[in-house]
Order: sequence, then structure tokens, then C-alpha cells
Amino acid sequence: MLYLKELTEIGGVSGDESRVRDFIASKIKDKVDETHVDKLGNLIALKKGKKNGKRFLLAAHMDEIGFMVTNIEDDGTLSFSPIGGVDPRVVPGKRVKIADKVTGVIGYKAIHLQKKEEIFKVPAFENLRIYIGTDSKEASSKLVNIGDSVVFTTEYREENGRATGKAFDDRAGCSVMMDLIDNIDRYDFDVYFAFLVQEEVGLRGSAVIAEQIQPDVAIVLEGTTAGDNPEVPEYKWATHIGDGPAVTFMHRGYVVSSKVVQNIMSIAQKNGIPYQAKRRTAGGTDAARLAGTWRGVPSGVISVPSRYIHSPVSMIDLNDYHNTVRLVEKILDEGEVFFK
Amino acid sequence: MIETIRKLAEAYGPSGREEDVHRIILEELKNHIDGYKFDRVGNLIVWKDGKSGKKVMLDAHSDEIGLVVTNIDKNGFLRVETVGGVPPHPYVGQRVKFPQCTGIVYVEGETSQDMKKNFSNLSFDVMYVDIGASSYEEAQKVAPIGTFGVYDSRFMQNGDFLTSKAMDDRVGCAVVIEVLKRLNSPNNTVYCSFSTQEEIGLMGARVAGYDIMPEACIAIDVTASSDTPKAFKRHAMVLKKGPAIKVKDRASISDRKIVDKLIELAEESGIPYQMEVLIMGGTNAAAFQATASGIASATVSIPTRYVHTPSETVHLDDIKNCVNLLIEYVQKGV
Amino acid sequence: MDIKKILVELSNTDGPSGYEEAVLQKIEKLIAPYVDRTWRNSMSTLIAEKRGNGKGKLGVFAHADEVGFVISKIEEDGFARIEVTGGIDPKVSMAQRVKIYTRDGATSGVIGFLAPHLQKEEDRKSMPHPDNIFVDISCSEKRVRVGDVSVPDVEACEINSKISGKALDNRSGCASLIWAAKMLQKIRNEWDLYFIFSSEEEIAGPGARTIAYELNLDKAIVVDVTHANEKVPGYPLIKLGEGPVLTIGPMVDKSFKDKISEICSRNGLKTQIEPAPIHSGTDADEVQIARIGISTTVVSIPLLFMHSPVETVDPKDVEETARLIAVVAAEMEV
Repeated sequence: MLYLKELTEIGGVSGDESRVRDFIASKIKDKVDETHVDKLGNLIALKKGKKNGKRFLLAAHMDEIGFMVTNIEDDGTLSFSPIGGVDPRVVPGKRVKIADKVTGVIGYKAIHLQKKEEIFKVPAFENLRIYIGTDSKEASSKLVNIGDSVVFTTEYREENGRATGKAFDDRAGCSVMMDLIDNIDRYDFDVYFAFLVQEEVGLRGSAVIAEQIQPDVAIVLEGTTAGDNPEVPEYKWATHIGDGPAVTFMHRGYVVSSKVVQNIMSIAQKNGIPYQAKRRTAGGTDAARLAGTWRGVPSGVISVPSRYIHSPVSMIDLNDYHNTVRLVEKILDEGEVFFK
Repeated sequence: MIETIRKLAEAYGPSGREEDVHRIILEELKNHIDGYKFDRVGNLIVWKDGKSGKKVMLDAHSDEIGLVVTNIDKNGFLRVETVGGVPPHPYVGQRVKFPQCTGIVYVEGETSQDMKKNFSNLSFDVMYVDIGASSYEEAQKVAPIGTFGVYDSRFMQNGDFLTSKAMDDRVGCAVVIEVLKRLNSPNNTVYCSFSTQEEIGLMGARVAGYDIMPEACIAIDVTASSDTPKAFKRHAMVLKKGPAIKVKDRASISDRKIVDKLIELAEESGIPYQMEVLIMGGTNAAAFQATASGIASATVSIPTRYVHTPSETVHLDDIKNCVNLLIEYVQKGV
Repeated sequence: MDIKKILVELSNTDGPSGYEEAVLQKIEKLIAPYVDRTWRNSMSTLIAEKRGNGKGKLGVFAHADEVGFVISKIEEDGFARIEVTGGIDPKVSMAQRVKIYTRDGATSGVIGFLAPHLQKEEDRKSMPHPDNIFVDISCSEKRVRVGDVSVPDVEACEINSKISGKALDNRSGCASLIWAAKMLQKIRNEWDLYFIFSSEEEIAGPGARTIAYELNLDKAIVVDVTHANEKVPGYPLIKLGEGPVLTIGPMVDKSFKDKISEICSRNGLKTQIEPAPIHSGTDADEVQIARIGISTTVVSIPLLFMHSPVETVDPKDVEETARLIAVVAAEMEV
């Protein structure tokens, strides 16, 4: 995992992905034939095929969930609002970074000072504030602006075959693509790598991809939910980390064609790569946009299962990560079957 | 026509798995079309050439709502999630048909209190499917995770009232087939899409019109009917008053010019019709309108009782009049 | 023609979503003297083009539709049921006259409300549910049908130099485009400029996105309205009379917005700011992602009491918005 640590530690909330994009571009530019940034900020790279016929698209999104500074209050604290789906219950008591330069903390009134009824109430975003060490609106206005991005500051760690950090959704997908760019040879078909923006705020970056690239097939690489913790009954888990990359057959707004699902699963079986079916249909991915724009792009979804996504600390199993890279490599090796 | 409706309605075709339905449609249309193709996401597009240089498009979605297996427990019982807007109540004690087996759906409850609570707040979270397997392995063989199922219900007739699962939207498919069969020398080139994955978000229709960009597109789908006891009082649609020309639903407003033209043609030809405003739901017309630089689109609906249950009920006269109206439109509407 | 007159005239012209024709005709007459040509596309959008030197294509959008109602059912004894077109609060809909557009022309109705004397105690505690609202059409001389559209029957007026009336969302946006075209008449713009009056924004329709696709624009400014004088916790207060509001968020191209801010400060144009972390609630959300993507910004006119018959704007804000559009269009890539 050459890139996973750096990728997850960069701040890049939906609409403000430039730092992630710059990092990826700097690493891949000498390993692909072309790179290009489109009007929305998607980074598109191409490894040309030998026969220049079909086009295989791999896609992952660069943006992570976070917040926007919505107001600078009179006491110098910052009001903020989520970008993407963030549960307010993971927010108090965290350190954040604003506009990639100012450190702040999201505090909460001490428990000693709370009435009994308040302790178990769910916090509301409109009552939370970021403290940046100032005590006036003027002082804060010199440091930050309304509209600035806010990210968590979690550091990446590897322990016991697992990795913890922020933004595995979907820096894990981006990292898989970067590993593939390092490893793969040239195929007969073109391979496009699209590093997308603004997935978390409505699959927006992917909405303009099909018209530009006009791919024949696509595979979206995600960091998807697990749900495998003691508070959730087993039949409600989406995935179980450690059981291998997750293959989606259906999610919000989209059913993956049985051909694509079968192809992915048989390639995995043939090569002895563990995999699991994603067992909940909740959530959506850029595959829905790719299938629903231009002439339509038949798309599959393969994910690195990740616990606690959309919170400051997520966890993945490193074997799952490696097996995801292996699986997509083998899929590209047999890419022709997807064009039939 | 009744036989075609029966064959289509009884066919297995949940969203994303419409192959059988498409096969039946192509059989029905043999010798009645000038060509067909499957587009990149599996929509079946057929056409009949006309002389005017103008294109009209009709759409009926080929998928139906259903369930999908998301879990198998160690005793061989299945857990399912919904595919489209599936009400849980019609499934209690009823059967779900998978390609290789049929299961019974029921509700869990360890105490009578739990049972009461679950029944009054019913959802598939507290329901399971029994396919007669005794272990995970046994169930895995015939209904692995990712298997799709539909209502196990048969077609029946009460006079001219036709009842079956999936009248939404197989009756629309049957209407389009009949239009193509009766259209002998079309003035305009008629494209028909039997689109996929409508029930989960108008997915197929988002791209079905892209290569065609017709002058106009009409989606044929079902709509609610308020002619049963204490039925929803804000709806005007009823059976036997003819096809419903839709003005608005929650997904789109029909193109005003198409609506006016349909009314004009219906009145000219003495075809009974009714006007429709649907308070909930949407059709593929919304997706066609938003395609590329826009396709002027509207919906013509077949009033249907008990939508999204195993016993969707339509009236034969409405279906016949819908065919008549659409033939007028494809010949004279653009 | 002064700006107040234009606001009043456009407010008093009726055009609920899908039925904007009368408004578009009015706008076309007003803007025609200042542009090179006007036309409609397949989705009934009005485009007014002021040619430049082809350096790029800038589209300025204002939706022409307003929120309203549509008749969903005719009851006995001269009553009807309605469905809303767009988001309307029942609290501002009760006890008012409405204009209903029948096939034979406009007619009147009353959304009636029971007198206090006859009300039950529990009913006084909440607003009627949309299913229980009715329109009294017994005062109508013309036949009302299902599908007939309707708007509140009010005329705009002046309140201490502000303009108050229905549909200022988004007739004030439309007015600002017309006024901007007037301001630009003596200026030769480098970029090709398109003033776009689109449909169906209030129902999240395809009007703006389809014309954005068709014109293949390089940049877009979406002009709409936003809430003024309502303190939302955690958000800056937007005030009537303090100038156009620039949105910041993922749907806005930040560098384009920064350029606009810079042009504004150089030209003594005061602006306010509106953070939109996920959606802007305007056509920008769809325009930005049309085709291969468009560099988009949102400029909003502060407005009180949105989606009520007493919406209020300050004509000064409308003029300043027009000035912003004119100055930006004039300075584009010179």
C-alpha cells in the first residue's frame, strides 16, 4: 500500500479535491499515456490499448465527507454544516483542519455542566461550533472564510493486518487504482482511470464522465460499509471485513447486470481470490450515474469493505485491500469477456 | 390481446432481470417490426419505419417490483430486501417466486407482543422467506445471495376485469405490442422501448432515448384508480372511463402540447379518455424529458386497482381504447 | 419601462410549472429590442441571444415558472380537489381566491376555510392536511376539469418602495436578465451571451439542464431568489436591500465565483454570501453537471416569504443583480 497512508491523510472534501488530485497526478503522470482534468475537476488518465478498440473504465472518487464553514459567529467560533452524509453523533470532541491551514476543535459543554436530559440527546449541527483559539469575529475572519472546507485530522495506522484512518471511502478505491497503474501492462483495449469529484454530494463528478470517455464498460471501486459489529445482527451486515472484496449486485437506483456480476465472481473463483457479495442494497455509487448518462455504460461495483465509514475513524482489512487489487488486475487480464 | 397480457404478466422480470419478458415481447413482435436491438444497458428497442422523416417514440417498462435475497441463515431461511416500491403486507403468508424455487414469506416474533408490534409496523426487516431448505448450503444452491424474486400470482379474469401481478407495466408492454401489430403503414418512424429498471429509479429510460431523440415520446404506464370503497379522494381516475392522459405526477409534468394533441385526437375519433393528476409516483416520461437536449414527453396511463400488489386489476376496454388513442397519436400527432 | 413596472407586470402574468407560455411571451417582448434573436427549444425554453465575438459561451439562467396548483378531482356540488406544483405551505394557501385556467379561459375559485364558529376544538390545533383541502368552484362560470392549472389570484403592489406579489420567485430573476440585456445594449460583449428563461424549476424539472446540454455552454450564471431576513442558526443573515447573494458550495465553480466577487468590488457592487454545503436548491445543481460539465455560479436576489402570494423584493437588489450580470458579461475574457 504505497499510497494509502498519504491518500487518506490529505484533506479533500466534496468540491475541494484539488490537493488529492495534485497528489495522484504527481504520482501517475509518468506511468500513463495521458492525463487530463475536466471542467468539474475529475482527473482522467489513460493507458492506451494496443488495438485501440474498446474502452474499459475504472473509477473511484477522490472526495471525502467533511464540513463547510457556514458562519463566523460573534464569539469567534465557527458554525459549520456537513458536506455529504455525516451523523452528528460522531462529531463532538474531534480535532479538525480548516482550509488545510487552521487547526480547530469541535468541543461540547462538559458533562459536569449538562442537565441529565441533555446527556443522551443527539447533538444538532446548528448547535455545534468549531473553536480556533480566537474570541472575536474579526480575529477569526483574518484566519478563515465562510465556505472554507473542514476535514477530520485522523492519521493512518497499520496494526495487526488492519488499517485505521479516515476516508477509506473512497481513498481505498483511489489507492487500488494507483496500484493498478503501477502494476498493469498494456492490454488490447484502452484502460481509463477516472478519479472523480463530488460523489458524496450526489454522484456529481461521474455525471459528466460517460459523455467524455464513452466507455464500453466500467467498474467502480469503492470503500463500502461493513456493519459487522456486535450491535448489529448478522443478517443486517452489509459485508464482513476479512472476507474479501465485496461485489455489489444492486444498490440504490441500480441493478448490476447478471452478466457483469457473474463475470466478476467467476474470475475471482478461477483465480482463488476470496470475495463476498455485498448483502445490503442501501447506499449508492457512481455506477448509477455511469449507467444512466449518455448511451449508458454497463457498470459493476467492487469495494474494499470498511467499518465506520463517514466517521473520523474507519477500518479496513489489508488482505481485503490486496485481494481487491488482485481481483481487478485479473478482471483486466480477462477484460474482453466484459465487452461481449 | 388477453393472451398476450397473460403471458407477459405471468413472466418473471424483476428490475435488472428482464430477459424473459424481452424474449416474449420479441416473439410477439416477429414479422411486425423492421428491426430491434438491445442497447448498452439492456433496454429492448424496436422500430417500424415511416416515410415522414419524423420519429415518435413509445415506452413501456418491462420490469416489475420484487425482492432480492440478501442473507441466508444457518437453518436455510432467507432474508430479503425490496426491489422497487414493494409493500410488505401483500407478502405475509404469500409466496415469492425465485427462478429455481418458491418461498413462503412470513413475520418473526418471539412473543405475542413482538408479533403485534411487527404486524402493526410491518417491514422486511422483521420478515423472512422459507424455501424448504434446512441449512445454509441447501438454500445457497437454489437461492444464493443476489437472487431476485417476484410475486407468485396467476392471471385471472372477472368478465372484462383482468387481474395479475405485474400489470405494472406488462399491460403497457401489451398495448405497445398491439399498436405495432395494427400499424400497417406508419406515417412516422415509430420507435418503441421496452425499458429496464424503471421501478428502482427510471434507470433504463435515462439512456433509451439518447440515440433516437424523437420529436415526441409517450410513456405508457399504470396509474391509480379511485373507484373502490373509500378510495383516495384526491384522485379522479377510475376504470372503464378510458386511458388516462396524465397532466402531472411527482416526477414530471407532461408536455402541454402533447397533452392537448392527445385530447384533440381522442375527441375527434370518439375515443373515451380521462384526465389524470397523480399525487404520488412517477413514470419514465421524466427520464426522457431530461435526456440530452430534451425530448418532449408525456404519459398515457391505464387506470389500475391495487397497484404493486399481486392482484393489479385493469379493464379491457381501457386497454383497447389506449391502443386506439396511441395509434391516432403515432399517425397524426407529430 | 422601469424595473418596478417590469416586476409588477411579470408577477401578474400567470405561469405555473409546465404552463409558462404567457410569461415567456411577455418576457420575449420585453427583451427582444436588446438582443440579436430569440427562439424556443423542444422543451419550450425561451433563449435570447446576444452575439459576441465567439470567445466562449456564457448562459445566464432564470426560471420562468412559479409555484401553483393543479385540479386533481372534481367533486359534486361545485367543489374540486387540488395538488400543488412545487412546495407550497398550507399556511399561506388557505382562504384565498385562485385563478383557474380552463380549456375555455381563466375563471375563479376559492380555497375555502370553515368559519371558527363551526370548528371542532381538535381541528383548531393543526393545519388541514393536503388531502382535506378543497377549492370552491361554484363561482366559476366556465367548466373546470381535472388537469386545469391554477395560481393565487393576487396583483402585485408597492410597499414602501418594495414590490410585493406572487411569483417574484423567479420573476425578479427574469426581470434582472431583461434589465441586464438593456444595460448591455451599447456594449459589445466578447463572449456569446444567452439569456435563458427555463421551465419547471419548481418541480425540479429538466428545463435548464436540457438547454445547457444543447447550447454546450462554457460558463453559466443561474439567477434565482433566496431567503432574506430569516436568521437560520449557523448561517449568515441575508438582508433585503443589501445586494445580490453569491452562493459558495460544490455546485459552484469557486474560481468563477471569485472572479465575479473581484469584478463586483472593482465596480462598487455590494454582494452577500450564501453557503450551500450540498445543494443550492436552484437549477445550478443540474446545469453544472450537464453534458461534459459547465463552470457555474449562482446569484440570488434576496426575497421575503418565498412561495407565498406576498413574496417581497427590493427593486434595488434586482437592479444591482442586473448590473452584476451586465458587468460580468461585459468583462468576460476581454
